[in-house]
Order: sequence, then structure tokens, then C-alpha cells
Amino acid sequence: MSEEEEEIRIGVFVCHCGSNIGGYIDCKSIAEWAKSLPHVVFTQDNLYTCSETGLAQIKKGVNENNLNRVIVASCTPRTHEPLFRSCIQEEGVNPYLFNFVNIRDQNTWVHQKEPEKAFEKAKELIAMGVAKAAKLEPLEKIIVDTTPTALVIGAGVAGITAALSMANQGFETHLVEKEAEIGGKLNILDKLYPTNQDASELLKSLKKRVNDNTNLTVYTSASVKSIEGFIGNFEIEIEQNGNVKELTIGVIIVAVGASLFTPTGLFNYDGQKRITQAELETLLKNNQVESSNVVMIQCVGSRIEERKYCSSVCCMVALKNALEIKERNPKANVTILFRDLYTPGTYYEDYYRRAREAGVIFIEYAPEKMPIVEDNQVRVHNEYLGQDILIPYDLVVLSTPLVSNEDNKDIAQMLKVPLEENGFFLEAHVKLRPMDFATDGVYICGSAKWPVDITESIAQGYAAASRASTIISHSTLEVEGATSSLPEYNRNLCTGCEVCITVCPYKAISKDENDEILIQQVLCKGCGVCGATCTNHAIVIRHFTDDQILSEILAFGGQYDGV
Amino acid sequence: MVFEPKILGFLCNWCSYAGADLAGVSRVQYPPNIRVIRVMCSGRVDPMFIFKAFQVGADGVIVMGCHPGDCHYLEGNYEAEKKYNMTEKFLKLIGFDNRVRLEWVSASEGTRYGAVVTEFTQQIKDAGPSPAKDNEELLFKLKALEMAAATDRMRALVGRERHITEDENVYGEKVSLEKFNEIFDKAIKDEYERAQVLLSLEKGVNNVKLLAAKLDIDPSIVLEHLLILKQRMEIDFGEIMENTPVFVRL
Amino acid sequence: MGENSKSVLIIGAGIAGIQAALDLGDMGIKVYLIEKNPCIGGRMSQLDKTFPTLDCSICILAPKLSECYRHPNITLYTLSEVQKVEGKIGNFTVEVLKHARYVKEDACTNCGDCAAICPVRGVKNYFDADLKTQAAIFIPFPAAVPPVYMIDKDACVNLNYGICGLCAQNCGAEAIDLTQKDSVLTIDNVSAIIVATGLDLDENIAPLSHYGYGIYQNVVTAMEFERLICASGPQAGHLKRISDGVDPKKIAFLQCIDSRTQRAQKYCSAICCMYTTKEAMVAFEHNDELESYVFYIDMRAGGKGFQNFLGRGKDEYNIKYIKSKIAKVNVDENESPIIVYEDLDSGEIKQMTVDIVVLATCIIPTLGLDKLANILDIELNEYRYVKTDPFFPVETSKEGIFTCGCAREPMDIPRSVAEASGAAARAAEVIRGG
Repeated sequence: MSEEEEEIRIGVFVCHCGSNIGGYIDCKSIAEWAKSLPHVVFTQDNLYTCSETGLAQIKKGVNENNLNRVIVASCTPRTHEPLFRSCIQEEGVNPYLFNFVNIRDQNTWVHQKEPEKAFEKAKELIAMGVAKAAKLEPLEKIIVDTTPTALVIGAGVAGITAALSMANQGFETHLVEKEAEIGGKLNILDKLYPTNQDASELLKSLKKRVNDNTNLTVYTSASVKSIEGFIGNFEIEIEQNGNVKELTIGVIIVAVGASLFTPTGLFNYDGQKRITQAELETLLKNNQVESSNVVMIQCVGSRIEERKYCSSVCCMVALKNALEIKERNPKANVTILFRDLYTPGTYYEDYYRRAREAGVIFIEYAPEKMPIVEDNQVRVHNEYLGQDILIPYDLVVLSTPLVSNEDNKDIAQMLKVPLEENGFFLEAHVKLRPMDFATDGVYICGSAKWPVDITESIAQGYAAASRASTIISHSTLEVEGATSSLPEYNRNLCTGCEVCITVCPYKAISKDENDEILIQQVLCKGCGVCGATCTNHAIVIRHFTDDQILSEILAFGGQYDGV
Repeated sequence: MVFEPKILGFLCNWCSYAGADLAGVSRVQYPPNIRVIRVMCSGRVDPMFIFKAFQVGADGVIVMGCHPGDCHYLEGNYEAEKKYNMTEKFLKLIGFDNRVRLEWVSASEGTRYGAVVTEFTQQIKDAGPSPAKDNEELLFKLKALEMAAATDRMRALVGRERHITEDENVYGEKVSLEKFNEIFDKAIKDEYERAQVLLSLEKGVNNVKLLAAKLDIDPSIVLEHLLILKQRMEIDFGEIMENTPVFVRL
Repeated sequence: MGENSKSVLIIGAGIAGIQAALDLGDMGIKVYLIEKNPCIGGRMSQLDKTFPTLDCSICILAPKLSECYRHPNITLYTLSEVQKVEGKIGNFTVEVLKHARYVKEDACTNCGDCAAICPVRGVKNYFDADLKTQAAIFIPFPAAVPPVYMIDKDACVNLNYGICGLCAQNCGAEAIDLTQKDSVLTIDNVSAIIVATGLDLDENIAPLSHYGYGIYQNVVTAMEFERLICASGPQAGHLKRISDGVDPKKIAFLQCIDSRTQRAQKYCSAICCMYTTKEAMVAFEHNDELESYVFYIDMRAGGKGFQNFLGRGKDEYNIKYIKSKIAKVNVDENESPIIVYEDLDSGEIKQMTVDIVVLATCIIPTLGLDKLANILDIELNEYRYVKTDPFFPVETSKEGIFTCGCAREPMDIPRSVAEASGAAARAAEVIRGG
């Protein structure tokens, strides 16, 4: 409250974002106009406010005009707020005295055909932003200790790789697997593409590396029962053989993999004469393939209306198994019916060529005219010939997709992370944060996120380990300061009704030994429900206070509080 | 002139605001009438914000949060729904319930965000300009609604609703949803009237007879309200004028 | 762990090198980031949008560029090349040749006064795929990091003929140093090296002339097209035909140009199906009467959300996909390209006249990778990419040297970012004694 003496000096920076904003509305005149707003003492338009040049301009503006509040009107706080906050922090302004105004994603981009209205909207949004900025208060982040331990859920190849990397970096690592054996899909595969080495060889070497590592503890036939807490300090319960073990964990990596799809009712699948690639792997492993006329069908249960995605591994699996059959019995006829052959990159395209050279026959089919599996022949329409081709078979192999695990929901709920439409885990950003979740301290790798092969699973396992390591490489971390609080000056308003305790989803609020309301800052996520519920308006939601939001509402109505 | 409504949106940071950004990234086009206030969770939207928005000229207010089950804060959107339901009930009393909306929009629903905003904008266009603009009586009523919703009684009811209707009390009893709604609806009506009484006192409408006439309520009910407000120490007896006690707001 | 004196050296500051540097830096490990270009960000910074989210590329990249530039644990050397490496895992010594910029990095304010007065014009800008020209003193693009000008030493009349020097006279910040020389830096105590050198594009005109490239003006490469549709590019995003400046109505995108063929590169470039769809979408956003035709062999869309992206392309952006093989590209009297192709669905030979042809040229290893591989003593594979084992995807043939992204195989951005983090983890293991 001592800050009250200080004059509020707001700077407004309007970003052109190249032509993304500037191409639709006149940023220069908006910046000029913003000078008329209460407390605004400096404004500027920048070509790219987020560029080094733009940031330098903000710093210069802050210094030369003694700004103590900064507004950037540009893209979205979801991507750029941290950058601008740290920029003003470097100039000695508390980062919470920054306010973002979204005039691109929610304005020029969505009103491209109404630039005059977008112009007016931008001004009103900036006015609202200025009104809130005038009410902003400096806040400090909270420093918490981190526990240098990692939990990896799922011991397939991705999970094992991630766990080994964490352990090799010196972190105590716990690897939990629901099956009796580690290794995931390596346990059922015969050979691995593109080297055609035995899957069991890789599994053996991984198991040895796991066993030899003293930092790594493996729990098989086990599951994670509960996860409480937060980044750096998760409280975990692992259940194994009816025993429950409690651990304090710094970071969590989700590597639960994906499931095989059973094509019940598709292409006369019977598990005998018409089987899946996974079932073929077992036959190959046991040397039980005697068929001399094999037809493989790609995209069975995928790239269709109810499952639109391409599972990305099935083409290579089919090529590998086709080559394997040819290798063992060069006289065997192997035909692959496909839509688009997915063999991207260098070695995979090579592999495709090898299969062609080995005499594997490739016939394309169109999704409008699906192949029909009859008793002893497959009928496939060929547009090129303008007629059906009949291929006799003694074995049909269906290439089915990897699908998301059914229990992903439970894990997602425990971790408070989202799933996408097909039930795979949804990362923080598809392009640039592929291993992160939006929830801090939790990471994702392997087919739990999207179907990937062994090579990519390994790369992703390491990647998740790297991301996780950035957190627990340090003994402390900073926690968000914009949380709920019951300030001393509001204590007299608290009636002790406990409604806040009832509504807090994180159990961050309790009563202390003096029967006074206590809010645990580290547990609070800043949702603000308690503040909106508090029966006597005693709780303050920092950075989203009633006062701040009401001033935005007033500005929306063209009124300025206190002016 | 074509009516261009002023619409205020409260968007939760994690789903709806991200969905609105995605609409931008996908260049989904929608009417430019909405102004957005970002909150971390839709559960942060205090009902008073909505009443305030109508008092300063909003033609429509929309609250958007994560889909049920998707809340970044686990259950904040359920709390948002409770608060919203109360707000809507209050607004119904003055025929404003067609000017508010609660929608769930996820971070991946950019197209839907655009569709929801387009549709809501049309709904408000059809409803016409807010009659509260420069209409003292309606502004008075909106202020009364804001006060009523801000009472500890209403806030406690909303805050405890799930607790009361879903859990048993210490005697092993559970209040049925119907019973709860009955209590709730009665509370809405009572608190609205009481808020009007309080506001009227400020304007010199200060005895039972005058209040009953202005608020169009039975004098016995007005008296009941006055007694309760006195109990709450919000008003007191003033002097007796023309054989009628005069009340003052404290 | 005694980490303080140890460091990781990363070669290449595209999105992969940047991600690896940020991860290691955030772990508290010292990083040297070496970039041969004047600015960081690599290919991603040249892109308009990215698939499948259509995020504005520079928008999501810019914060990373800044973070990298400002990171206390990351030392950035631009215009620099590794010229000598000695030692082994845990203790390499690396010699870096830093080319003269002729502008002091710590003094330049990026105001542009120098370029305004420079008498030399018409110098091609590599960042805009040579489609735009500039002065001899320039910054590659407005959001470049570091935000510092440089002098093109081949174009500058002072450096070549000893005359002029107007830029230095005009620079208020006294940032221009026409006497600057190349310098050599020696970096000791490098525990691990990450090769993140990325890709180049096969734009050798001789083989591409088969498709009319270099002969017909309205045949462009995908990278050129990317700049043409980019809001900050040479046409400010409003796509026009190069020959006559007319708005195109019909664009053909030809896939697998000199890839998946015995004639040139045998492999698949892995990302063209997706970026082509994206380019067609962005072009459509500027002109919703546009028809796009994608001539392809196999549609390779296995990544997350890719099939949905293709679906949107067909349904909302007027993109038609034709399974085909291209025989030849001719032009008519209006300079409009005529594509002669075999329709693989029907087997017929057909023709189509369009306004612009875009060639999805083959991705190749970054030029100069052979030389670097010699310096590092690492093996390349038969396609001249860094050789890796499928089950050790981020390790090179030499212990302590890791790789990621398009240095080892063509791949998209998320995969490059993931592998970069992966390489960072392996480098951290080396430093931490694992």
C-alpha cells in the first residue's frame, strides 16, 4: 500500500507484427490516440515488438519516461507475455506490472474484412488494458525447493530410454510398468526395421542397461495410484503386489505407449487365416509361417471416418514382414494393398525399394472401393485396369493402427493433463513444445502422444528426459505469484464461513491453529474461484482482483475509475 | 443506423481464450462486437461483474470456460456454472436473461469459438439495444440485482450448493435438488426485494407505505424485509413521521 | 558435479540447435552456439506459417530467438564456422573461425541509417530466396537475431576498392568498422558437440530445368513460393505471377522433384506433402478464388493432426490432389505453364495449364557438411547426411558427438525439436558422467 504515493506512468507499445496487425489497422495512429488515455505518458508503434529491436525500444521507453506500467498490444499473452515480462524486469520494473492486449489473434486476424471495426475494437481493448494496468500491483514469485527425482510411467522403449537418461544424469529415477515385464511392444515384435535385427536383441541390451544402473528402480506389475502436489514436489503412490509405496518426485514423464487395434468385423478377420500384423509377428517369431500366397491390406481401421489418422508405423511393419516372408520363402507371393505408402525419409524409402526389388507386389486401392476378402481370394478394384483383380491367398494380414490406451483417461485425470480427440495425450504445443504438457513438471514421449516407431520413441525418450532435467537440475524453482490471498487489511472482513475451503479444488485453503483462514501459496494455482465465492469479499485474487477486473468493465463502458 | 451491440466476454485462460486465439490462427472470421476480459478460470467470474457490465452499457455478456471435465483447475467450471445459473435467475427478474450466455469452448475449438460468438452476436442483435441505457428504473434494478447477488446469503448458497446437494450433513441427511432450488429461488426473490428496499431508502423512499407502492409488494412483506435488514444491521429506525416509522440505511 | 567449467558446443542455430542450446542452458550447462549465417533461426524463420496448426512461424519462433540470445548460459557466435576439432569425448578443443561482420555487434542499434545511405543497391537477399534486393550493408530480415547489420563484403565498394565509407560516416552509434578482420577463437573444455546443421534445398538449375525452372518465370521453388506468400516477404504476402504481376487463379504444386527418383535423390524428403498443403492454404487465404492442384505419388501425412489438415485442405481451401507422375512442364504464349502428366489413377496422359508451378525440391544435407564431417571425424551415410544408427538416433559415429534434426535425415519441425532435446539429454549425460 506504500506504493500509493507513486505516480502511475503507463507506456503503451503497439505492434504491427509485420503486416499481421499493421496491414489491417493503422498502428501509428492507435499509438498516438493511446496518449489520451489516463495515466499514459508514452506510446510507440513497433514493427515487431517482440524482436530484439522492439524489446530494446521498450527498455528505452521505460528508462527515458520512468514508466512503471507497460502495455504491449500485439498477439497473445499465451505465447508472448513471459518475454515482455522479463524485458521490463530487466529494466527494474516488476514483471506483474506488464499488461497484454490482444489485437492480433482476437482482432485483426478474425476481422480481416472489417478493418475499420477492428481499428475501433483495438482502441477499446487498449483502453480496457490501460484501465487494468493502472490498478496492477507488483508481485513476487514464490521460491520452492525441488526434489531431484524422476518418475517415468510406462517401461516400453520410450520410457526405458527416458528413465536411463535421467538416471545417467545422476537423478534418482523410478520406472513403473503395469505389465510383468519391461520392454513394451519389443516383447511381441519379431524383427525391427530398417536393420532387421531381432527385437529381442535390443530388448536384452536395454534390460542389461536398466539392471546395471544404480540410480534406477523398476516396478513391474505396478501402477501409479495417486499423484498429488506440483512441479518439483509431487507426492506419488505406487501400488505393486498390493503394497503401496510413497515417493516424493520432482518431475514426471508419461510413456505409457499405445494399444493394438483388433479389427473385429473388418475384412473377415478371424485370427487364423486372416490375422493382424501383430499376430503375424508372433508366427514369424515361432517360425510358423508356411503360407505361400500372402495378401496384406494397409489402413485397416485407420484413415476412415471414425479413425481419421494415419498410424505411421504400419507401412514399414508390412514391408518388413513382407521382406521376412520373402527371405524365408523366396517363392512366396506377397502382395501389399495400399492407399499411400508411408515411407518418409532416407532409409525407409530405401526399404520400400528393397521390397519392390525382392518381388513384393504393390497394388493401390481407393477408399471408395475397399478390397473384399473372400474365402480364398481378395478382390481389389484397380482403376488403372478398370476392373477387379482377384488375388488368391492362404493368409491375409491386416495392418491395423496403434490406438490410444483405454486407461489414458485415468492417468490424464491424475496428472491434470489433456487428451486429444483420438485419446492420445495432448502436448503443450504441437510444433515447438512437443514433449511438454501445459502442466509444469510433466512430460510426454513415445506412442502415448502419437503412434511412432522405435527410432522415434528412443529420440523422444531422450527428449523428455532433457526437458525434465531442465527442472530438477536446480535445487529450487520459482512458483507463480499471481495467487489467491487473504490480505491483512481484509482479515476483519473474513467471517470464517469456510465456503472458500469448500470450493478450492486444490485443498490449498484451511484453518490454522487459531481458527484463521490460511491459504497455502504453493498449492494455490490462482484459479480465483475462492475470491469469486468469498461471502464477504475478503479474499483477493492477485493480478485478477475485483478492482482490476471492474476497472476493465468500466473502461469497456467508456468510463474510467478515478478519473 | 445498424445496431452494433456491445458484447463483453469473460474467457478462461486455458480453454476458451486459447480457443479464441486458435480462431485467429485459423483466420475464422466473426463479428467484431465482442470485447474480451481474460480470467484464469471461468469460476473467477464474480456475478457482480456481469451486473456491472450491463450497468455500464453492455448489450450482452458471455462467459466461456473449459468443457465439463476439462477444467484446468479441475472443477472451476462447475463453480462457474453455479454462479452463472444464479446470475441468469436474477436477470430473468428484469427480462435480461436472453442477454447472457454460458458456453464451453476448448482450446482446440477455434471454429466453434467463431460460431458461438457469431451466433450470440446475432442473438443480441435480434434482442435489440439494451433497454438499460439511460433508463434510471432499469439501472436501479440492475444495481439492486448486483447488491442482492453480493449478499453473503446468496454467495454462501452458491458456494455450498454442490456440498449441500451432493453430500450428507452431520445427521446423515441430504437436501434434494428440488428442495434446494425451492430455497434458492425464494432467496433470489427476497434478496432482490431487500436490495431494492435498501436502494430506495437512499432515495428518500423511507416508509412501508411508500416502499410498498414503489416496489409493488405487499406492505406486510416490506415490513418483513425491513425487520430482517434491521437484524442484519443494515438499516435502523429513524424518526416517526405522520404516524409512520421512517427507516434509514446505515 | 563440477559442471561449471565444462561446456557443450552446438553447430547450427536453426530451430534444432536453438532447442538443444535452450535445454542445456536451462539445465545450467554452458553452451557455445555456432552459426554460419549472420542471424539465427534457420529455415523456420523463413517460413510464413507452419503446419498443421497454421501458426505464424516467426511468431512462435521469435520468443525462442530472443531467449537464446539473452540466455546467460549461451554464448552465440554468428558468421562463424568450426574449422578444427581436437581431443575426445569429455574434452574437445574447438577452433572457430569468426568472419568479419564489419559492424560491431554491441554497438549497432539496428536503426538502418547505414543501409539508407549505402550507394550499392541490387544485392540479392538470401533470406528472401534472392527475390528481393538490398544495399551492401543489410540485416537479413526485420526480426533478425542478433539485431545487427552486416556488410556484404563482395558487394561493398569500400572493402573492394577502398572508396566510399558513407555508412561509417553516417552511423550515429559508430558501430561500423571497415577494418574488421576474420578472427579465430579457441574453445577449450568442450565435453560434447551437437551437429545441428540442418538442410539445404536442391535448387541446382540444371536438373530442375526439366520442369522449366530457370527457363520459365512462373515456375518457382517451394522456398521461393514460401517467401512470396509470406506477409513480410518480397510481395508482402499478396501473391502475384512473376512474369506479369497478375493474380494467379490456378496453381500447380509438383511433389517429389528430384527425390524418390533414380535420376537424382532416391529418398523421400518427408515434409513436402505437408508444407505444400500449407502453402496452398496460405495462398488461398489471400485469394479465395484460387484453385490448387497437388501432383503427388504417395500422400505422406503420418504426423499428429496431419490427416485432418489434409481434409481441411480439400474441404475448405479448394485443394485437389492428383496421384500422378510428371512428364514435362511447357509454357503457352502467356507464359502460363502447361503440365504434362500421367494420371496414376486412370493411366491416362493429361495436360493442365496453370498460372504458377511450385516445385517441391528435394531436401539435401547442408552444403559444406562433407567438410565439417572431416573436421569432426564423423561418418556420413550414402546420402551424405550424418550417419546414425536407427536405435541410437542422436549419436554419430564418434563418441561425444551427437546430432539431431535434418543434419541426419529430412524431418519436420516437431521431430527436429524433439531430437534436439534428445541430443541435449545425451550431451548432459556426458557432462554428468553417465
